[in-house]
Amino acid sequence: MHIPDGFIAPQMYLPLYAAATAAWAYGAKRVGQELDESSLPWLAALTAASFALSFVALPLPGGTSAHVTGVGLLAVVFGFWQAFVAASLVFAIQALLFGDGGITTLPLNALAMGFAGALAARGLFLALRHFHIGLALFLAGWIGLTLPALLIALALGAQPLIAANATGEPQYFPFGWGVTLPALLIPHALLGLGEGALTLLGWRLVERLRGRYQHG
Amino acid sequence: MAERIKLVAYLAAIVATSWLTTAAWLAGGLVITLALCGRAAPRLLRRATLATAAFSGTVSLAYAGYMGWSLHRLPLDWLITVNLRVLLMALLTFLFITRVNPFQALSFSRRLSFLLVLAVSQSLVMKRTLADFRLGLESRSLRPASLSARYRAAAHAIAWLLDRVLANAHDSAQAMQSRGALR
Repeated sequence: MHIPDGFIAPQMYLPLYAAATAAWAYGAKRVGQELDESSLPWLAALTAASFALSFVALPLPGGTSAHVTGVGLLAVVFGFWQAFVAASLVFAIQALLFGDGGITTLPLNALAMGFAGALAARGLFLALRHFHIGLALFLAGWIGLTLPALLIALALGAQPLIAANATGEPQYFPFGWGVTLPALLIPHALLGLGEGALTLLGWRLVERLRGRYQHG
Repeated sequence: MAERIKLVAYLAAIVATSWLTTAAWLAGGLVITLALCGRAAPRLLRRATLATAAFSGTVSLAYAGYMGWSLHRLPLDWLITVNLRVLLMALLTFLFITRVNPFQALSFSRRLSFLLVLAVSQSLVMKRTLADFRLGLESRSLRPASLSARYRAAAHAIAWLLDRVLANAHDSAQAMQSRGALR
């Protein structure tokens, strides 16, 4: 479920835009440096994959399903900056072309899911892959979903503190951390187990396919 | 040029609306935006309502229940103001989507335009193929697929997706190079 516009106070989203813009500028530069002249089509294809990943159903017991974010998988397969830039472009496309999510929540989503989620997933994968690659991939997928949930819960829960009226009543998102942290963290920590499993399975299949393009 | 002005106007309207905390101003903004929508107003209002209903409805019901239970009063001010703001901002976005060509609005950057066109066109193809994957899994058995079968199917869909990324990037780069687009 995307957070629509109107729940995040401008006192928070405007500074987040400043931080995200700096990260996007640096990220675009890094992606351009790391890739050759084909970086544009490469980034477009990665963005399309990141967009389409959100339509892959994450199987849950009982026949139900949630949606994959794929940030952890993109970060371990392609690298942190590429995952961040691609995920950010997806949030922008979803907001501006499909009206899904919001333009004021874009920097929060980009920084929480694209930046922090991808950075934690990539960092955990690199730190643990020599110890146990399967565990490293599983935890990368798990943290790629759970850490953004924590950050978004913190941002939502801060709204009553930063934007209340004279009588102390909230003017944007109404619940504090006592509600947002358990409401977002508990389900996402559990969903993260499924995302971790899919990251592991996805990586193994990708490894089988990768050779043909590296040598082709 | 007109598309860029509309983009700037849309962004300015979104930022201005996000600062509003008075129901009367928000209601006025909603009336003006509906007037700007013209004949499409009912359709766009419906789309905006559907797009925001799940989150707004959940939060509004939870907050109304919490306030009613703990303070024995309904937060009417909050319910009206926040839901009007959310609806108005969503309506502005849908009005922007129907009236503005985003590819032209972003044409000040040739690279950004290329990126957007390539990403969106590939996204739609991938989305459609993933729907085929899902229908394929459902059609292969009369019984619902087991959890492990659904995991294997999801992993194969992801692997196909990432395989396409590598192939599409390669194909697009060659196509654009041959047409001089990357020079």
